Amino acid sequence: MTAATDVITNVDGTPARGSDARGPVRRLPWRSSASSVIIYGPIIAVLVVLFLIPLGQSIYYSFTDFNGYSTTAKFVGLKNYASVFADPSLRAALFFTIVYTFATVIIVTIVAIPLAVILDQKFRGRNFVRSMLFFPAIPSVAILGLVWSFILSPLASGMLNAILHALFGLAPVPWLSDPLLARGSVIFVAVWAQAGWHAVLYLAYLQSIPRDYYEAAMIDGASTRQQFFYITLPLLMPAMLISQVLLTTAGLKVYDLPFTLTKGGPGYVTFTITQGILQNGLTLGQVGQASALSVLFMVFVIAVLVTQMVLSRRAEGRVL
Amino acid sequence: MKRSRRRSVVLSIVMIAVACLVGLPFYYIVVNTLKTPEQSGRSPLGLPTKLYTENYTGVFHTIPIVQSFLNTVYVTAAAVALMLLIGSLAAFGMVLSKARLTRLLGAALLIGFVVPFQTTLIPLYQDLAKAHLVDSLNGLIVIYAAGAIFCYFLIQGYMRTIPNEIIEAARIDGAGPFRIYWSIMLPLIRPILVTVGVFQTMWVWNDFLTPQVFISSPTKSTLVLQVYTAVGEFAVNWPLFMTMTVIVLVPMVIFFLLMQRHIVSGLVSGGVKV
Repeated sequence: MTAATDVITNVDGTPARGSDARGPVRRLPWRSSASSVIIYGPIIAVLVVLFLIPLGQSIYYSFTDFNGYSTTAKFVGLKNYASVFADPSLRAALFFTIVYTFATVIIVTIVAIPLAVILDQKFRGRNFVRSMLFFPAIPSVAILGLVWSFILSPLASGMLNAILHALFGLAPVPWLSDPLLARGSVIFVAVWAQAGWHAVLYLAYLQSIPRDYYEAAMIDGASTRQQFFYITLPLLMPAMLISQVLLTTAGLKVYDLPFTLTKGGPGYVTFTITQGILQNGLTLGQVGQASALSVLFMVFVIAVLVTQMVLSRRAEGRVL
Repeated sequence: MKRSRRRSVVLSIVMIAVACLVGLPFYYIVVNTLKTPEQSGRSPLGLPTKLYTENYTGVFHTIPIVQSFLNTVYVTAAAVALMLLIGSLAAFGMVLSKARLTRLLGAALLIGFVVPFQTTLIPLYQDLAKAHLVDSLNGLIVIYAAGAIFCYFLIQGYMRTIPNEIIEAARIDGAGPFRIYWSIMLPLIRPILVTVGVFQTMWVWNDFLTPQVFISSPTKSTLVLQVYTAVGEFAVNWPLFMTMTVIVLVPMVIFFLLMQRHIVSGLVSGGVKV
């Protein structure tokens, strides 16, 4: 009965035209369910299996005492969330991750913009300089961390210590074993690895600024400094948004570099949120607590990103 | 005129010096692979007095580095091909369909864009363990398939710039959806496929977190993980470690030289990666 109605009328009640009924509908060929499955199926599977289900699991675990093996998980309310802030190592992780993020965003931006302006000028060896500054962004950060752990080794045989000893007769400096120096070293290596990459990003935007603006400003008697602050910088706003969003997310999610350089030490001074999630959730079996941390982390990352977008939109509106 | 020339010479000297300083760590590791351990201890920055290649033969003898290389090539090639295929198929459907359901799907995919890997990592580990995909290269590929959502967003942005008339013409000529996708759409979006492909290749090839969590046996190790593990084992033998690093860096240098242009354009268009 229903089948017969289907043949006679279309969904919206208009009379069907017999065997031609499918004609107009086929204007979009992938409406046929078989091809829809092939076109949308894989990405839906990715979304569900790799994002929605694990996200649901994380949220669920964060309210239970699940340890990774137990078959029965007990509901514990917000206990895990409270324990995140009570755990000294996780507090240290939160602190260092935020310090690292702020430091890299600010320093890389301060270094990259002038660098881009310089790289935009003509000089001999420019291509070599561009490639060389950009190159640290190519290899794996984990490998770079290991390389730097040898260079900055606190032992007398570490490269930097050996050089300092040869040149100035200095005693070995505890680059990676002193809390303050260790933090500084991690941030320094992060800036070294990323500044060139972000300079090239700014450079791409710089090159799209019409030369006429500068000519007009020059005729009006603007100094180089005025040109930089009143033309270049405002027009680099979109690039700044992209660069800082990238740096912020990379900063909040940072793991490879501090882990390979210092293993999070000495103590927990360069411990990161990601390392905390891994250690508590996979090594120590505190899945509930690690999940609570990972959920908080997600909320935090999204909040920071949204704030950044809103603020820079507003700033952009004011400048342009 | 004269002033500007002098300025450019000064700029040139200063910037080349800066570039050399930035590149110093790379010089340091390359130079030390050609020295004996005590020689590199005595003069870490000096050039080697005579060519010493035992570090290189040593690495190939002690570490399954060829195996790791092949593992990395397999995982990277399969994962990147898979995510480009999934992402471009979805983008294709999405760009051409105006149905409400597909628009809803587009919004849902944003979740995949903002949820950090850290938040799904622990459940993913347990799920993959249940599916016997932990400590397996194919398991890694499954994890990396998540990158399809990033590919989707970049590809659909590019696809919207392709004139609809081309698709219409093909449709009138009787081409089915997959014929249109394969013979018309894919060749037209080649630039973005290269850009996104280069971007994702660098991600998968260089990734440390995923293999560290999901791979435990040395025979299934990727290059980056292999270097990390070996450093733990050969902590005292620095030249050996540096030699390994150089061997791992060589493919990346070649890749960089060949793809520099695409990496930069990818950096600009891929800037939205969250």
